This record gives sequence, structure tokens and C-alpha cells, in this order.
Amino acid sequence: MDCRVIKNRRHTGLQQLSSFAETGRTFLGPVKSSKFIIDEECHESVLISSAVRLLESLDLTSAVGQLLSEAMQAQNKTYRTGTSTLLFLVGAWSSAAEECLHLGVPISLIVSVMSEGLNSCIEEVESLQVPVHSVYDHIDSRETFSGLSVSLYPSLQIPSGTDLVQKEHDLKDVASQSLAFCRLSRRPVKSPQLFRLQARFEADENTSRTPQTVKNNLLADTRCRKSVLTHSRHFSRTDDHQWISKPGELLEQLSAAAPKTYRCSDLAELEVGLSHGDPSSMRLVAEAVWLQRQNAGLRRGSRAVLLPFDISRIFTCCLPGLPDTLSCVCPGYISVLSMSSATLIKELQNQPVRVVLVEGDLTESYRHLGFNKPTNIKTVSESVKVQQDSSEELWTDHVLQVLIKFNVNLVLARGNVSERLAEKCIDSKRLVIGSVHESVLQAFAEASGAVQVAYITHMNENCVGSGVSVTTWRSVPSDTVDGISRMTVVLKTEGINLVTVVLTSPVTAQMQTKEDRFWTCASRLYYALKEQKVFPGGGAVELLCLTHLQSLAGQSVNKGNQDCSGWLHNTSSWLASSAALYKPTVLKSLADGWHRYLSTLLRNTAVYSSDSEAATSVQRHLQNAADSGSPSSYILNEYSKLNSVILNSGISDKLEPIPRVYDVVTPKTEAWRRALDLVLLVLQTDSEIITGLAHTHRSSQESEGLLFL
Amino acid sequence: MSRLEAKKPSICSREPLPGGRAGASLAALRGLVASCYGPAGRLKQLHNGRGGPVAATSHSAALLAGLPVSHPVLKVLTAAVRSHVACFSDAGLFTAILCCNLVENVQRLGLTPTTVIRLNKHLLSLCTSYLKSEVCACRIPVDFGSTQILLSLVRSILTSKPACMLIAKEIDHISTLILRAFLLTIPENAQEHVILGKSVIVPLKGQRVIDSAVLPGILIEVSEVQLMKILPIKKSDSFKVAVFCVSLSGDLSDTGEGTLLVSYGVSLENAALDQLFNLGKQLVNDHVDLVLCQKVIHPSLKQFLRTHQIIAVDRIGVSLMEPLSKVTGTRPIGSLGSISPSSYGTVKDLCIAKFGCKHFFHLIPNKTTVCSLLLCNRNDTAWDELKLTCQTALHALQLTLKEPYVLLGGGCTETHLVAYIRNKTRNEPESILRGERCSQTELQLITEAFCSALESLAGSLEHDGGEVLTDGKYGHFWSVQANLPSAVNWPDLPSRCGCGLYSSQEELSWSFLRSARHPFPPQTCLSPEAKDSADTLTLDCFTAKLSGLQVAVETASLILDLSCVIEDTN
Repeated sequence: MDCRVIKNRRHTGLQQLSSFAETGRTFLGPVKSSKFIIDEECHESVLISSAVRLLESLDLTSAVGQLLSEAMQAQNKTYRTGTSTLLFLVGAWSSAAEECLHLGVPISLIVSVMSEGLNSCIEEVESLQVPVHSVYDHIDSRETFSGLSVSLYPSLQIPSGTDLVQKEHDLKDVASQSLAFCRLSRRPVKSPQLFRLQARFEADENTSRTPQTVKNNLLADTRCRKSVLTHSRHFSRTDDHQWISKPGELLEQLSAAAPKTYRCSDLAELEVGLSHGDPSSMRLVAEAVWLQRQNAGLRRGSRAVLLPFDISRIFTCCLPGLPDTLSCVCPGYISVLSMSSATLIKELQNQPVRVVLVEGDLTESYRHLGFNKPTNIKTVSESVKVQQDSSEELWTDHVLQVLIKFNVNLVLARGNVSERLAEKCIDSKRLVIGSVHESVLQAFAEASGAVQVAYITHMNENCVGSGVSVTTWRSVPSDTVDGISRMTVVLKTEGINLVTVVLTSPVTAQMQTKEDRFWTCASRLYYALKEQKVFPGGGAVELLCLTHLQSLAGQSVNKGNQDCSGWLHNTSSWLASSAALYKPTVLKSLADGWHRYLSTLLRNTAVYSSDSEAATSVQRHLQNAADSGSPSSYILNEYSKLNSVILNSGISDKLEPIPRVYDVVTPKTEAWRRALDLVLLVLQTDSEIITGLAHTHRSSQESEGLLFL
Repeated sequence: MSRLEAKKPSICSREPLPGGRAGASLAALRGLVASCYGPAGRLKQLHNGRGGPVAATSHSAALLAGLPVSHPVLKVLTAAVRSHVACFSDAGLFTAILCCNLVENVQRLGLTPTTVIRLNKHLLSLCTSYLKSEVCACRIPVDFGSTQILLSLVRSILTSKPACMLIAKEIDHISTLILRAFLLTIPENAQEHVILGKSVIVPLKGQRVIDSAVLPGILIEVSEVQLMKILPIKKSDSFKVAVFCVSLSGDLSDTGEGTLLVSYGVSLENAALDQLFNLGKQLVNDHVDLVLCQKVIHPSLKQFLRTHQIIAVDRIGVSLMEPLSKVTGTRPIGSLGSISPSSYGTVKDLCIAKFGCKHFFHLIPNKTTVCSLLLCNRNDTAWDELKLTCQTALHALQLTLKEPYVLLGGGCTETHLVAYIRNKTRNEPESILRGERCSQTELQLITEAFCSALESLAGSLEHDGGEVLTDGKYGHFWSVQANLPSAVNWPDLPSRCGCGLYSSQEELSWSFLRSARHPFPPQTCLSPEAKDSADTLTLDCFTAKLSGLQVAVETASLILDLSCVIEDTN
């Protein structure tokens, strides 16, 4: 076996990174243009509109490409957001690093100055953090509910106003079907009103509240929803926007409940701010949060732990072929079944059903993971008669007996279900659903008291859960491929901690995009609530980074300051003493990355028609920020002018106030770090070692620039 | 009809080294390892060119493990370095570079191998006896009463691997964690023979480095599904534990070759399950609270245990078995027959912890000499490098406990040794010449080859085109910018030497490394106040570096002694 060493000439790695990143440029910002990716060989195409899906479809077999996709996947897996930022910054900073190389800056200096520069930026932007506190406080107190009719907040600003009206009509038809869905007729954005900020001392825990009163209040809420927006703190607070920068100060002001202090304290505002141009997805997220709170309220007193927003108990059900307006959020689990079970479901309706949860496949041959089935065992029998029944038939009969014995009418299995068994079960009025997600099983286990089993034949009375209601929801247009007509069924129990988000789209190709977008919005809200802080969005943080880097570069020119970074801290290398010489150059290149980011952001929001216009606008704000003496307060001032994008003055002529834009904190800063880490990793690489190839496999042309060991 | 092909004759190549493929390959290997050396070292991307995983590394263990070499000379060299790294973790690149340098320098001289080997051996013994002597000025005794030196040692190891992608704050955090993890493995009441515990590194990829933590006891990762099935843990002073290393999945034991005939109606699976239930009943009767299994537990057995209030955790994996039995005092149970009561152990407390997106079952033992180092990094590549580096650092600390010295890093030990050897062979050559029966010229040539191998090793720390100087008093390593303008008084430029011990204020006569200079006796015996500045020093592991030096010289001798290579081409 041989190994080849490829000497990188003129840093091809960085060039590769910038060209990969260039493909995802249009995904930055709230307005995302979709792309078609066409496979030339099999003429298949996919519609994508996110950086992650783009990289999934690209051929990234080169080492650098793989490192890029590894970084993207790590970000996506951990945070589910920030990937387009990551991809863009990888491109911007790899060009920046290359620029530094051209200017003759030693690699080690680029690495340490850039990483410390970014670190300093991340510390700097902490001052912009907006605390998100107590959006949930007192949600359960009666004060909040009774106060609903006067506590009014601006609703989500959905650009296409007609969308809402349409939906209401549509939902009314659906809602008449069953009581379970009367909540759907609620105006979708209503929920946030429940989460109004109240001063801490107003807390009035009402322990005697019953679910009934909650419902009553809800109805009251629904009736009052058309009130005029007049007494909103949100609107009367135009005179003084004092931002909070220090945590200590914050607590002080919180306890005083001073109305002057700015913070993001109601959920509606937060949701609008985090929707990033995708109000329809965020509307669904908002409803899901609301429903989850409802359930939590119902379960109060039981062992349930109240998390701010439990993203693991939200489940999506994609129904392609239905109009967009049918997207909605329901409590419980929604599954698509074939029409053949329609009559069965009708019979099971209106009665509590006993349930069994199976954690694997429901087939005869299924064995739990880690079980090795011996292959050399043969069964022999003395008589011919018994052999007529195959082992599967015997097993099916056995399972049915067990189900009858425990009076079970519903089986949910995580894996596949034997077709023969499913048929036999339908005959005996039992519903079997396969391919159920594990979080769904878990939710049913908690709510119904069932215990998940691996083998249905080994179960006992303790494993059976009860009180599940089965209802039909609506029929779904038949799949064009197989022509089988389908229907949807809703399963739920009292107080189940599970919310299903039904996503519909008339265009099947868009389904994936829709689901991705929903999850992105959900994750943003999740992290904002988890961390209890958000950044002002719309480029505010990036602008501060830009100004901060510029001032840093200026400082090191003037003072020639010696505080070195990274490993240079403790080293006596000549690099440490000559760092001051190169520092402005490197910091400037890093800042150029932000500059490109901001201009692309502006360009993509379609406010500016050309790149140069966008760049000029960034430059102007940059100048203003520098002139103002305190860039962060300048940025905050600009931001509190209630513009959706900080650098944007184009749409302020509209009459209605534009909601603030927010962004998540850790996912964003981590995306920055990941982007820079990747660039620096590639920058520091000087050779590529290809292992495990024989000499003969390469032509002489290919092996140019290779070394053999 | 079968055809027989005659065997090809073996190829015998004489004198493999001068010229030829071996020389070029050796130079390529040297370039490869030398470019990785030190904190400013360059990284290598290792992959198979067909979409396999990519590793970006400058760690000798990762580099050499993924570097299949074809030439026998290189095979000897990499095997020697790898076995050194397996024993000492640290100083792998040092060994590899020094060995390449020595071979290249010596074979240019054209002396007979026997003389070369004898003299190299002698020079090596000069080095080792100096490094081990009390007068040695490049080693510092370690005071375990303070953390200064130990922290500096760990920090030096961490900074030497840029692929970990750590910033200064993160380096401080991880160094503290490593030191804490190490200290937790030392038993409290140490007797004559100290048996160190173990720090288990638990991966948590995708999180921020700053989220890393050290916890006493053992963390067992459990999936969320499994977690939900774990009963609420009752309060108790101690929990009785049974640890199984045999699979409890209800497999049939190996049925061997051939076919097994089973008559109809007999179920072997059920028989195996019945056996498991019997085992379960015994566990219940013995009042066991916790059952841990290296492999899989049959879900029905789990369910049985659950109904009897026993917590069962399976799929623990082989790597945790040893620390687990150490911590709990159990003997892993390897059969499904009856269990002897002496196999059971205890733990003090149990809890469930969540870090990042992973859930862990946390066992807190009575005697804690086992701890878990929860290591986070942003992506897989950087995590792998960080893990290797942390293991190296932990190992270096253990070696330091055994031999409580550290060596000055940053190239200073090498340049100091060079000054010492040059001076020694120049001023007292008689003792060597008498003992080794060689001429004065031969001795000078070999000494020069040996010293310049060490010097260019130290010079390998420079990757950005700077120059390296040594001073005429301590023989330390000083780094300066290349092509300095002549107007600048260049000796004033370096502020501190490579290890950080001396600053340039004193009267030091600098000269370029590898330039001819008159031998001088470097100052021996480290002054006590020098040791006090230890918190900013760059330090190396004493034991690992000493062994690296020996391995490098001995391997170089072995390679130089090769007279022919016989290859079987069939």
C-alpha cells in the first residue's frame, strides 16, 4: 500500500472552500430563492432552499468538501439553524485568509489574529443581547386570563394579509367536525397573548383553577380577539428605548418592573422577530407552543416537568397535495392510513381504547437488536398434520389471542407491521399502526400508562395503556403513484404531551422545504427561550462586529499593542513581536468578511438592486457608527427605530410599524466559530495524504505533484 | 489442468540508503513530520481519496497510524516511532524527526557503520547521563505542592497541536480539566505502591469546548428511549451492583458447525429466555439494585427486572468494563449459571445527567479514583485531535508522577544539549577516543552530525520563515524575524528564549543556529529563582523525551547498519 503526498500550491483548499460557499450565497437572509438541482444522468431534480440541503445534493468528495459538509452537518445537528450563515462566512473568510496570504502574512499569525479577533467580536456583541425573561411568567394565573381582553398586542405582521382570512374560512369547516378541533378556529396568532409580561409581584397562583375554567377563558379570549389595539405598551413606549446591557442592571430593573426598560418580554413579539421572513411557519410554531402550554396546564399536579418549550414532543405530519391553508397544529398524533380502515375507525370512535406500544417491528421474524439468530437450526416434526400451519400463522394467531385477552384495540409499533397480522386485526376490530416515531410512543406511554414492549407475546396487563381516543380527521387526496385513497386519523389521550403539526403543500416538491423551515423556526424559538436571550437581528450584531474589528485594527496601528493571542500569548517566537505589524491587515480582512455578509444580506432582502448600492449603505452606517463615538449605542438607536432590517430605510414609508427582528445567540456565534475554525483548519493544512492506493491505479499524469513513501 | 507458475526470485538490493528510492522517501517523510512539529506546525489531511473520513492532524499517533509506507527502511522507522508513542504518547514527532536527521546526516559522511554506531551510542549516553544528572540545566524538578509546573506542562502539550482549534481561554479551561482529572485518579491514602485510577474520556461532539467538564465516577451514555424506561432512582446510601460481561440477549450459545435438528414444538429461544429469567430471579433474591451489562439484555428480562425495582442498563461497551469493575468492586459475571455473591459490588449514588443532547447514567462510587472527562469540541475532526492530545497530556502527567522532572521546551533543551556535547567532545575527547578506538577526526565528524541533527530538529519549530539564534551563555533557543534590516541592533530583538526561562536583558552573545561557532560550556545548574517563573514556561515531558532520544538514536543506528534489503516479490 502506498501513500501519496500532494503539495498544495497556492492554497487550493481555500479556493475550493470559497467556490463551494459561493453556491449558497442566495440562501442568506429572510428572502431565500430556491434552486433546482438536476442530476444529468438520471434526469431527476430536487427543489432546495436551504444551505444544508444544497450541500447534501452537491458532490463533495474532496477532502475540503468533506470537512465543509462535516461542519455544516454538525451545526445543523446541534442547532438546526445558522447553516447559511456558516456557509457564507466560510466563503467570505477563506477569501479573506487568501488575501492575507497574498500580502505575505505568516500563516500562524493569520490563525491567531483571526481567531482572537472573532473571539473579541463575540465578547463585544454580548452587549447587544436582549434578555428574554418571564415570557411564560404568570401564564397560569387567573390575572392573565381575565386581563386578556385589555392586554392587546400587535399581531404577527404577515405581509400577505389575505392569507389569514382565507385560513379562518377554511378552518371553520373543519372545526365543525369535532370538539377536539374547536381550538383550530382560534385565530392562529392568538396564543401569544397569553404570555403577556406582568410584573413579578402580580403573581397570583390560583391553585383552584380547573381545566374547565381554562377552557372558558379561552372562549372568552376567542370572542374578544377583534378588539382594537389601543392600550399596548408596545406602542406607547415610543419615547424612551433604554436598552439593557449589563445583567446586573437588568435584574435591578426587572424587580422594579420599570416600563421604560427595553426587553423582549412577550412571546408574540419574540415569535415575530424570530420568524425571519417566514411567518407561516412561525405561526405554526406559535400554535404548537400554545398547545403545549395548554397540555402542561392540564397535567399540572402530575409529575410532568415543565420545560419552556419541549421541541422533542412536536411531531410533523406532511400531507402533500392539500392546499397550503390547511396546515395546522393539533394535539395528539396524526397518522395517514389507507381507506380500508375507515369503517374500523368509525367503530372505535367515541369510546376510550386500550393501547399496546411495540418498540420494534411487529413481525414474526423480528428479534431485538443484539440477538443473533442461529442459522443452522432446523425444525423436524413427527406428524404431517401440524406442519400445515406455517410459523407465521401460528405467531399471528398467538398475537391475536393476546390482544383479545387484554382487550386491546390499538397497537402502535415503531417498526414495520406484518401485513397478515394487520389484516387479521382489522377483521377483529383492532387497529395496528406501524412506523410510529419513538417520541410519539413515549408520549403515549406517559399519557396512557402503557409500557413499551419488544415482543407483544411477552406482554402482561401492566403493559397496556388505556383511554386513547381515535377519531377520523379528513380524507387525503390519493397518491398519484399508487392510487390508494388515504385518510388521516387522530389519536390522543387526556393531557398527552404531544403536538402534531400538519404541513400541507399543493406542490409535493416543496414538502421537504416546508418541513425544514418549520423546524428551523421551531429551533430558533427553542434556543431563544432556552437561553433567555436574543440578539437584535437584521444585521445589527454583524455591524457591531464590523465596527469593533475596525476599531481594533486602528488601535493596533496607533499603539502597536503587544497583547498577542492564542498560543502566541506564552510564546517567545518572533511572530509575537511582529504581530503588531500584521494585525491591522488581518483584522481588516476579517472585517471585510462581515462587510460582504452585510451587503449580501441587504442585497438578498431585495431592498437594494445592486451590490454596490448595498455596499455603500453598509459603508454609510459604518461611518455613522464610527462618528457617533459609541458604535453599540448607535446601532441600538438605529435598531429601535423599529425597522425590520437595521440598515434598511427603504420600507419605512409604510404606515404600520414593522416588527423587530431577533436572532438566536449561541447558534449564531457558534456558526461564526465553526466557519472560522474550518477556514483556519484548511489554511494550516499544507499536505493532503491519500492512503491506501496502489501505484498502478494512477496514471502518470495524475501522479504529478505526488510524493511516494 | 492446473498450471503452475514458477516462483519469482527474491530481489536483493545492497546498500539501500545512498541515493536510490530510500533516500528520497526518507527525505519526504522527514519533510512531512518536520512540517507538523510545534505550535505553528502545519496540518495534514488524511483520507483515502474515495470519500472516506478526513482527518486533519499534526499528531504523530494519528499521522503514522494512517500513513502506510512501502519502503522497508521507512517501515522500520515508523514502527519504532509508533511503539514509542504507544508507550509514552508524547514526543513522537521529536523521535521521528531526530531519527530522519541522524540517518541523513551520518550517511553523508561515508564512515563505516560500526564506528558510527559506537560513537552515536556514546554521544547518546553523554546526553542521557547529563539529563539525568543533578547539574543538568534544562530540567526542572516538579513540586507537586503547586500546580504551576504541571499546568504549564499540560498547556504546552495542548498548544503544540493547532488542529484542536482552541483559543487561549479554552486552552486554560481544558488544561485545568486535565489536571483535575489526573488528580482525581490518585488514590487518597497512598501506600508504598500507588495504583493510579483511570480517567475515561467521554465524547460530546458538536458542543462548545468551554462546556467540557470533569466528573468523579463513571458516565454511561444511554439513549433517550432507554432513559425513559429507567425507574425513578430511589434514595439510598449504597446500591448493590451486578456487572455482566456476557450477553444477556437470549442468544443460543454457539451451536458450532453442522445443522441442529429440533423437534417440532420445542423452542430453543424460549429455553434460553427461561434461563435468563432464572438468572433474573436470583438477582431479585440477592437484592441487587442495579444490573449493568456490557452487551445486550433481552427486553423481556429488562421488563422482568423493572417490575422488581431493579435498574438495568445494557450496551455499556468493553472500554468501560475495566474502570467499572474497579469502581464498583464487582467481578464481571461471565456465565448465565448461578452467581457467586462475591461478584457483586456497590456504588454510593446514581443519577441521571444530561449534557448537550446526550443523556448519561452517572455512577458515583465510594472510592473515587475513576473520573470521567466529558470532552466537547465543535466538530469531529477537531474533537479527534483534542482527544488524542488530552490522552497525551494525561499520560505525560502520569509519567511525571513517576519521574518528577520536566524538561525545558520550545527547542531550548535541544540547543542546550548541543552546546554541552560540542564542548564536551572538544575539551575532553581523550576519554572517548581511548574507549571507542577511533580517530579524532571521526569523533569530530560524528559529533557534528549528531549536533546538527539536534539543531535542525530545534529549527523545525520555525515554519514561517523566521531565523533561529542561540546564545553563548545558556545555549538556549531564540527566535527572530528573517532578513532583519542591518540598522536594527538585532541581538536586542528576541524578548524571551523558546522555553520562556530567560529574557534578553542580560549580556548574551547570539549567533545563528547551525553557524560555526566556538564551543562554549553552557551554564549548568538551574538557578532556583529561574524555577519560580514556571507558570509561563514551555515544558516537555521528561520521561517521554528521554525515551524519544534513545529510540531515535538506536533506530538510526539500526537503519545505518542495514546492508541489504531482500524483497519477496511473489
